[in-house]
Amino acid sequence: MGETEQVGTELRAELRAYVEEAFLYLHPDVELGDGDGFLELGIVDSLGFVELVEEIQGRYGIAVEALEITEENFGSIDALVAFVQRRR
Amino acid sequence: MTTLDADLRRAAAADPAKEALVAGARRMSFAELDAAASALGARLHALGVGRGERVAVLAPNGAEAAVAIYGTLRAGAAFVPLNPTIKADKLAYVLRDCDAAAVVVDARLAPLAEAARADAPRRPVLVSPDDTRTGRLRAGSAPLSVDLAAIVYTSGSTGRPKGVTLTHANMAFAAGAIVEYLEMDAEDRILCVVPLSFDYGLYQLLMCVRVGATLVLERGFAFPGRVLELLREERVSGLPAVPTIFQVLTAALGERAPDLPHLRFLTNTAAALAPPTIDALRAAFPRARLYSMYGLTECKRVSWLAPEQLDARPESVGIPIPGTEAWVADEHGEPLPAGEVGELLVRGAHVMQGYWNDPDATAQRLRPGRWPWERVLATGDLFRADEEGYLYFVGRRDDIIKSRGEKVAPREVEAVLHAAEGVRMAAVLGVPDPLLGEAIVAYVVPQEGAALTPAALRRHCAAHLEDYMVPARVELREALPTTPNGKVDRRALAREAGETPAAR
Repeated sequence: MGETEQVGTELRAELRAYVEEAFLYLHPDVELGDGDGFLELGIVDSLGFVELVEEIQGRYGIAVEALEITEENFGSIDALVAFVQRRR
Repeated sequence: MTTLDADLRRAAAADPAKEALVAGARRMSFAELDAAASALGARLHALGVGRGERVAVLAPNGAEAAVAIYGTLRAGAAFVPLNPTIKADKLAYVLRDCDAAAVVVDARLAPLAEAARADAPRRPVLVSPDDTRTGRLRAGSAPLSVDLAAIVYTSGSTGRPKGVTLTHANMAFAAGAIVEYLEMDAEDRILCVVPLSFDYGLYQLLMCVRVGATLVLERGFAFPGRVLELLREERVSGLPAVPTIFQVLTAALGERAPDLPHLRFLTNTAAALAPPTIDALRAAFPRARLYSMYGLTECKRVSWLAPEQLDARPESVGIPIPGTEAWVADEHGEPLPAGEVGELLVRGAHVMQGYWNDPDATAQRLRPGRWPWERVLATGDLFRADEEGYLYFVGRRDDIIKSRGEKVAPREVEAVLHAAEGVRMAAVLGVPDPLLGEAIVAYVVPQEGAALTPAALRRHCAAHLEDYMVPARVELREALPTTPNGKVDRRALAREAGETPAAR
C-alpha cells in the first residue's frame, strides 16, 4: 500500500467514524455505503450539513466557501474524502 | 373560475410551451404538467377515486409531487400533502383520520406507505405519480370553488395533528392576494427549497401556476452552494425562505456574494429575522426587496410588510393581506386601541373551513363573525398594533414550539418519549436558539434502574417523528419541577433551561 493510499484509508475511516457518531446513530436501519448520498438516504438534513461543514473546516483547517458547499463536495463519504484530500 | 384546477388549465391554454417546473434534470412545460395532471386524474377515476375523496400525497419536492397535487385536483378530489420524513405510525393515523381513498407516492416512499396502509381500515390504494396508463376523466368531475381542495395537517396542542380544511375558494383567494402584493407575473421564476408539504412551499407552486410563472423545485436547503448555483443559472427572481435558511445562506456567503441580477425579491415568514441577518441579506442581495410576513396554516397568510417599511418598522409583520382584515382584539372580539396587547383575529375568504373531524378544536379557532354565515379566525397569537395599524407579534397563547419555521406541539414529542422503554417522565420545551428560532429540548426522568442515554432517546424519537420534530437535545434528569397538582411545571422548567448554557 502506497503512502497516499494509506493516508486516504485513514481519512476515510476517520470521516466515517465522525458521520456515524454525529448522524448515523439516529438511523440504525440505514446501511451507508461510501458512495451513498447523505441527503438521498435522509441521514443528514440541511442543519446537519451546517454541522458537517463546520466540522470539516475545524478538523482539517480548510476554509470552505459557500459555493463549495455542494453535493459533489459534501454529499457522501466518498465526496468528503475527495474534498478533504484535495483541499487540506 | 376560482379553482386551483382552473388555474392550471388557464396557464396551459395561455402559454402551453412555457416552462412550469424545473426539478433537478426534469423540466416540464405547462402543457406537460396539465397533461400529466389529466393522466393521473383519469387513473384515480379508474380506481374509483373522484370528487369528494381525499388523496394523500407523499413525495419529496419534485415534479412527481406537483403532478400528484394537480392530478388529485383534476380528479375532483382533495389532496393531503405529507412531509416525506413522516413515519409509518403517524402516516397511518393521518390516513385513518382523513379517510384517504388513495396515496400518491413516489417509488422510494412506497414501502412506507404500504406499511401504513395496513393500519387504515379503508386500505387506501397506492398510486404512482408517473402512472400514465391512458384513461379518461369522468365527465362532470371538475371541482367547484366551494369544494374541499386540501387538508393540511398541522401539529396540534393536544399532541394529535389537526387537519386544516381549505376549499378551492380559500386557496385561490390566498394565492391571489399574495401574488398581488409580491407583484408576481408570468416572468417570475421562484426557487422553492421549503417542502411542498409545508403550506409555505405549497403556495409557491399554487402561486406560480396561478400567474403562469416558473417554479424551480429543490429537494431542500442542504447545500448553499447548490442554491447559489440555481439562483444564478435558473435566473431566479424570488426566493422564499425562513430565518434559519437565510442565516445559513448569509453565513456561508460571507463577503463574497455572487451577482444575481434577476433576484428581485426575498420573502420571510415563520419567525422574525434578526437585524444582523437583515443587514447581511441586503448586503449580499442589494437588488432584492425583502418582505416580512406572518401567517398560519388556518388562513395561509395574515399580513405582509412592504419592503420600503422595513427600516421604519423592522419588527413589524405589516398589514393584512389584500382583501382581508385583521385586528388586535379584547376577549369579546372587539378591536383594542393601538399599543394594547390582545389576540389577533382575522376575517376574509382565506379563513379555513375548520379542522377535519374535530368540532371542538374548530370551535376554539373559528368564532361567529359579522354575518350569519361568516366565521372569524382566532389565531391564538398575541399581537399589538401601532398608530398606523401595523402589526407586531408579541407571543403565543399556547406552548407550541416553532423550530426552523415549523410548528411542533410539545405533547406530540412527549407522547413519543413516554412510549419509550424506561421513561418515567418527559417534558419538551422550546429553548431560544440563534439558528433554529427555538430548539426542541427534551427533559427525561428515567425509571429506576433504566439505562437510558440521550442518544438512544433521540434515536427513538427519530424512528417515530418527522425530522424537524426530533429533539435537538435530550437531557436526563433525576426529577422535574412539578406544580402543586403534580403536573410538570413548564414555567419552572423553562426558567431552569434559561439558566443552563445552551450547548449545541
